[in-house]
Amino acid sequence: MGARADSQNPPPVRADLRADIRADIRADIRRVGKFFGSRLVLREVSAQVHAGEALLVVGGNGAGKTTLLKIMAGLCRPTAGEIDLRVAPEDCAYLGHATFLYPRLSAAANLTFWARMYGQTPAREELEAVLSRVGLARVIDEPAGTFSRGMAQRLNLARVFLIKPQLVFLDEPGTGLDPASQELLRREIENLKKAGAGVVWVSHHLTADLPHAESVLFLKDAGAAYFGPASGFDGGDLTC
Amino acid sequence: MLRRAGFIAAKDLRLSVGGGQGLVQAMLLGLLLIFLFSLSRPTGELVSGQAAGAIFWLASAFGLVLVFNDLFSLEEGQGCRLGLLSSPVPEHAVWLGKGLAGFALLVISQAVFLPAAAVFLGQDIQGSWGVLILALIGVDWGLAALGALLGALAQGQGARESLFSVILFPLLLPVLLGGIRIFAGVFSGDAASDQGLWAGIIVAFDAVFTAAGAFLFPFLYTGEE
Repeated sequence: MGARADSQNPPPVRADLRADIRADIRADIRRVGKFFGSRLVLREVSAQVHAGEALLVVGGNGAGKTTLLKIMAGLCRPTAGEIDLRVAPEDCAYLGHATFLYPRLSAAANLTFWARMYGQTPAREELEAVLSRVGLARVIDEPAGTFSRGMAQRLNLARVFLIKPQLVFLDEPGTGLDPASQELLRREIENLKKAGAGVVWVSHHLTADLPHAESVLFLKDAGAAYFGPASGFDGGDLTC
Repeated sequence: MLRRAGFIAAKDLRLSVGGGQGLVQAMLLGLLLIFLFSLSRPTGELVSGQAAGAIFWLASAFGLVLVFNDLFSLEEGQGCRLGLLSSPVPEHAVWLGKGLAGFALLVISQAVFLPAAAVFLGQDIQGSWGVLILALIGVDWGLAALGALLGALAQGQGARESLFSVILFPLLLPVLLGGIRIFAGVFSGDAASDQGLWAGIIVAFDAVFTAAGAFLFPFLYTGEE
């Protein structure tokens, strides 16, 4: 069962989730704190992410979920604590609300550009294959600016697949997607896990996303109110 | 890093030239400036080489602002800046890529400004083409190095354009003055004795701007939102 903690103290971490016990750790954050000016956003948050597993990060608005994700992804500096990513930068991918697309470039050109940023040079066949996975093969040469929000996010997902990451940061990736696209997203997250990737997944859709996660980090009042296995998480006071 | 900078520059050039925003605006504004200054010339009088050089570089400096605002706005629409920052690309590669793209766009603009200055301001290249081209490259490199740095500073700000111009222009003065002096000599055919001195100043400030850009860009570009 997972451990509960009040907002003043960091929660105890399950022994079988500790970094020194499991060797397949992808990311380890220890006692991370963050201030924005004088406002405390995160206080002594610790968690680990393992290969082939998803850590679901949940909490109310302003709980610090996105800030924590950005800290883990290296996009924001923590005020205190340590971040230990045990994968190379080339093996990390970030997928959030923003689609990272250049509207005037085609789907293929967008994917090629981002693959090159990760040191890869994909062949046309590889682009077609990855776009087929997300149902966009027929629009491979269409400008991304003509895509709907759902199509743009699918293309963003294809970008992540192309990178073949070992650690994936997802910031509410289902926002604005229709049910079919959300289902596709969850299915592909399962595929990423099967490929050995660790997934850090900020979500507001607790009921739908919880079955796809192995562990949960529940943020409340700037601290970790729960960190432990998903099976032991009772939803806290979240209603979504 | 150089390879990735090249990919960023190629992408920026493709978007900027294809989109027809920053480059076209820069060209139109520069041409308008040159044309307006030509109207201020009293009938039958020639614009001095010094004034023509100043007008040419003024058009280039205003064009620079539009070019770099456009280049950095490319990353803002769909959060692409976050994408670059979350990728393994070194921030220096972004600076270099933007600088190279800005340099190329500036040279393209000036390929239009130069004949326009000849026609509207009544100038001819009396001096050495080699000196003109070397001065152009030297000044443009300084402009691009600083433009790529300060473009990052101004991005995402509400008053981006005005902030960019206010900071950029005073810093550009040494290389712009160098460009004006050397162009004055090339237009008039009188090789000024201080050309070597101005060339030295341009090279020195190019080095300063390049070092400042390489060192400071990561701090500006990764600024927390």
